[in-house]
Formats: sequence, C-alpha cells, structure tokens
Amino acid sequence: MYLRIKDFDKLFGTMNLLQNRLNRFSSDFDSPYGSDWTMEQGMPRTNLYDTGEQLEIRAEVPGLDKNRLTVNIQGNYLEISGSRDSDVPEGYKIQNAERESVSFSRSMTLPVDVDTAKASAVIKDGILYLKLPKAEAVKPKRITIA
Amino acid sequence: MNEKTELTKAENKAVEKTADLYKVAPAVDIFENSNEILLYADMPGVVKEDISVNIDNGTLSLSGVRKLKTKGTVNWEEFGNVQFVRSFSVPPTIDANKVEADLKEGILRLHLPKSENAKPKRIEIKSA
Repeated sequence: MYLRIKDFDKLFGTMNLLQNRLNRFSSDFDSPYGSDWTMEQGMPRTNLYDTGEQLEIRAEVPGLDKNRLTVNIQGNYLEISGSRDSDVPEGYKIQNAERESVSFSRSMTLPVDVDTAKASAVIKDGILYLKLPKAEAVKPKRITIA
Repeated sequence: MNEKTELTKAENKAVEKTADLYKVAPAVDIFENSNEILLYADMPGVVKEDISVNIDNGTLSLSGVRKLKTKGTVNWEEFGNVQFVRSFSVPPTIDANKVEADLKEGILRLHLPKSENAKPKRIEIKSA
C-alpha cells in the first residue's frame, strides 16, 4: 500500500517541477500578484473578500480621486469606472511614458446580494476600498439549539 | 502548491519579511526640462514609511513595500502584497542633495534638479 502512495507522490512531484519551470518561464504564472491586468489596460486589478457580514472589494486605482471614479451597484451587479488624465507637466519633454491617460470600466457579478443603501467607499493611497454589507436575507445566521 | 502558499509559509519564519515579497516593477513616467528631471511611479497601496529612494554612484533605486491587511475569506485576489522595485541610472549632472520626493494617491513623484553648471546657457554674440 505504502508503495502505491509513493507512486502518487512521484506523480505530483513531477507536476510541481513543471509548475516551477513555468514560474521561471513566465513570472506572472500563478503569482500572488495575479494577472497582467492594470488600470492602463482598462482593467484595474481587484480583490474580493468576504467577511461574513459584508463583502469588501479593493481595486488598484493610482492617481484617481473621488471625482474621477464612479461605482454603480444594481442588485448584485457592480460596475467601477473612472478615468485619469495624462499628468504631463507643462513645458516638459517626455523621456519615458508608461503611465498613460486612461479610462476604464470594470464590471462584475457579486456572489451575493448586497444592501446598497449601506455601501461605503473610500480611496486611500491609490486603492479603492468598497464595503458592501450583505442583504439581510443572505447574512449568516446562528441558530440556537433549543 | 502555488507560489502564494510558499510565500506565506516563508513569511512566518522570516525575520525580515520584505526579502520574501514578490517583486514587481512599477509603471514609470520620466519628464525633463532644462531645470530638472521628473519621475512619476505608480505604487498603489504603498505608504510613505515603506518607500525608500536611494541615489548611489549614479544609480537611482526606488523601493516601495505594499503591506495591506486582509480579512475574511478570499473570493478572488488579483493583487497582493508586493515590493515595487526599479532602478535607473541618473546622469552625473543631477544634484543629489536637492532631490525631492512626494507620495500622493499611490503615485510617487520625484524631482531631480540639475546642478547649476549643467543647465543650458545662452551665449550672447557680441557684434564687433
């Protein structure tokens, strides 16, 4: 029996080896930094956390203030859109340009219905933090045992 | 199995956490006029205390560590804690003592003034 488990281990070992090779080949593959998307490409990176009581969405939006960002929620459909103007100062020559002026829109379907009236959003250090309390019907409930 | 779990494991053991962070290059714009060179770098989520800017021997190196606290379970995660690293060679005409840096809305802005004798000068032609 043990011998057979060893065979399985070997099999998965080979897969790990392959993954390590792939990581070296393309550093973005399965990396904690996630996908290649950036705000410049029209797709700001987002994270979604579920704390039980509420959903928390974070999005990378460097250089955007609250006037340049719109968040729309309809049921469980969320849309984040915004734009950033080119910040080339007057009278300067451009030597290197990677941070272009952008306008983006990203929409997603939330896993549960949220209470839009209690939703809140803040921008801090170039990251948008969206807090969306879940609708009463989908909140986790403790059932007391009689 | 994936890099992330390896990273968390390593992080728990490590004394110096930043060494294990995934390194990425921030997007950078460089502008120049006759007085100074401007460098803008996107570093969303990095706070002032976690940025270091060094000029040493003609090399300007930027480093910013993003430390975001997470809570709850992850439904999806496209960005995590990373170290933004990038270095540039700067011309010797830059006055390293007068370099200014500020960070606002996740954008690091560096002002690299040119030293006085490197600025372009207009030479008057005298008529004989």
